[in-house]
Amino acid sequence: MLRVDNIGLRYGSGPEVLKHVTFHMKAGDFMFLTGPSGAGKSSLLRLLFLAQRPTKGTIKLFGTNVEHLDRSELPKVRRRIGLVFQDFRLLDHLSVFDNVALPLRVAGERLSNYRQNVLDLIDWVGLAPKAEVFPDTLSGGEKQRAAIARAVIAKPDLLLADEPTGNVDPVLARRLLHLFAALNQQGTTVLIASHDESLMKAMQKPILRLQDGVIRR
Amino acid sequence: MQGPLFPKDAAPLRTLVAAMAVMSFLAVLAVGAIILIDRAVTHWSRGLATELTVQVRQVSNRDVEKDVESVLAVLKETAGVREAEALPRSASEELLAPWIGSDGLDKLPVPRLIRVLIDDRRPPDMAALEQQIATVVPPARLDSHRRWEAELRRMAGTLSVLSWLVLALIALSAIAMVVSASRAVLAANQSIVEVLHLVGAEDRFIARAIDRRFLSAGFYAGLIGLAGGVVVFALLGFLGGAEANGVAEAARSLFYIPRGDERYLLLSFLAVPLAAIIIALTTSRMTLMRMLSSMP
Repeated sequence: MLRVDNIGLRYGSGPEVLKHVTFHMKAGDFMFLTGPSGAGKSSLLRLLFLAQRPTKGTIKLFGTNVEHLDRSELPKVRRRIGLVFQDFRLLDHLSVFDNVALPLRVAGERLSNYRQNVLDLIDWVGLAPKAEVFPDTLSGGEKQRAAIARAVIAKPDLLLADEPTGNVDPVLARRLLHLFAALNQQGTTVLIASHDESLMKAMQKPILRLQDGVIRR
Repeated sequence: MQGPLFPKDAAPLRTLVAAMAVMSFLAVLAVGAIILIDRAVTHWSRGLATELTVQVRQVSNRDVEKDVESVLAVLKETAGVREAEALPRSASEELLAPWIGSDGLDKLPVPRLIRVLIDDRRPPDMAALEQQIATVVPPARLDSHRRWEAELRRMAGTLSVLSWLVLALIALSAIAMVVSASRAVLAANQSIVEVLHLVGAEDRFIARAIDRRFLSAGFYAGLIGLAGGVVVFALLGFLGGAEANGVAEAARSLFYIPRGDERYLLLSFLAVPLAAIIIALTTSRMTLMRMLSSMP
């Protein structure tokens, strides 16, 4: 599913933010990525969702080496990855329904084919009454649930989440993690970047620790 | 019903529409100028081609009246000459008066003029006619106005080239404006573009979502420019004062529905909004694709 080998990353001529990072995930794995601020968690995730190319090393996603993948091939790979950001990254001018449906829309699916699936998923994350409202009227927790729904609507093979519980209260954070666990049980491979030790302990999943750009086992 | 991928106010193209409308308006004026020049040249050429003048100089030992009669006789026997008329001496004097004054003109050996109308479909052999007139009446000279016609054509050609240059500059300015507006739109919506990329959108998909706005911008700008140009020509043509008669008449002629080959000229006006749409759409698409391809 995911194989990261000896990855290095440097922004411009600055210092290396990731050094010799190596780890693997099998299909159906659930793993946490943790470390102090500035450890390189977000940089590693950016490499994994193909927003950045590594300075060295290889990344194999779904059996394909992606570190030098041609730009025109990126959308196909990205459509197999679901992304959840700490700041949600919902589009404020689109309704919750349209935000959640976005990955299907950009993939060229017909609205009539996915309307019911989107409504069902919105209902599943507990936002059914808010399907037609705009993100700026939602609470932080509701925004995060909408963002999660968007990340999983296209049934991605890999779900990457960057501090998904960072902006929500502990109770909601626990509920969101259980939501990820439920998705994982349906077959989605999940990698969550977090620095919330108590939540990670509660979930009892493998933890990848990153410090100063290096994996500490 | 799905919302637009980019908010309605994401591409504030009102300034672009206004600027492109002005460009389209100027383009319509330039196209009108090209049509008028073309028609004027055709009209002048036809006029010059159907009329000749024979000048009979007064020389000593010759009777100018007899010379005029002789030339008229030659002309009337020449195939392709429809009409030949000797103008009175006063006509020659009137032509000279503005240059040398009218005092004492009656004492000068003023040349006599013969106005000749020819059949433009079967014109006479000019070289042979010139030769024949010179043989019968050596002081007579045939003036076919060819020199004037060449001058007029040269002037009209220069004006046409200038008009085309103006059109080219207008097109270049429009392209530059669309490039600048496309960059501004993309820069202002960077966060939306990033999210679209991350959920798997292709560059073409994103560019298409934006350049629809440019399509409508080009369409409205072209229509406004065309309407403005038509109004200006209508005002010039139908409200122009007597002192602007030449311009007014020319402007009015743009509203005549011509017959035959000239009809395509009027279609040139419709080419202006079409060109505005094409420039807006293709330029924005190319600019957006180039910028998107430089993103991660």
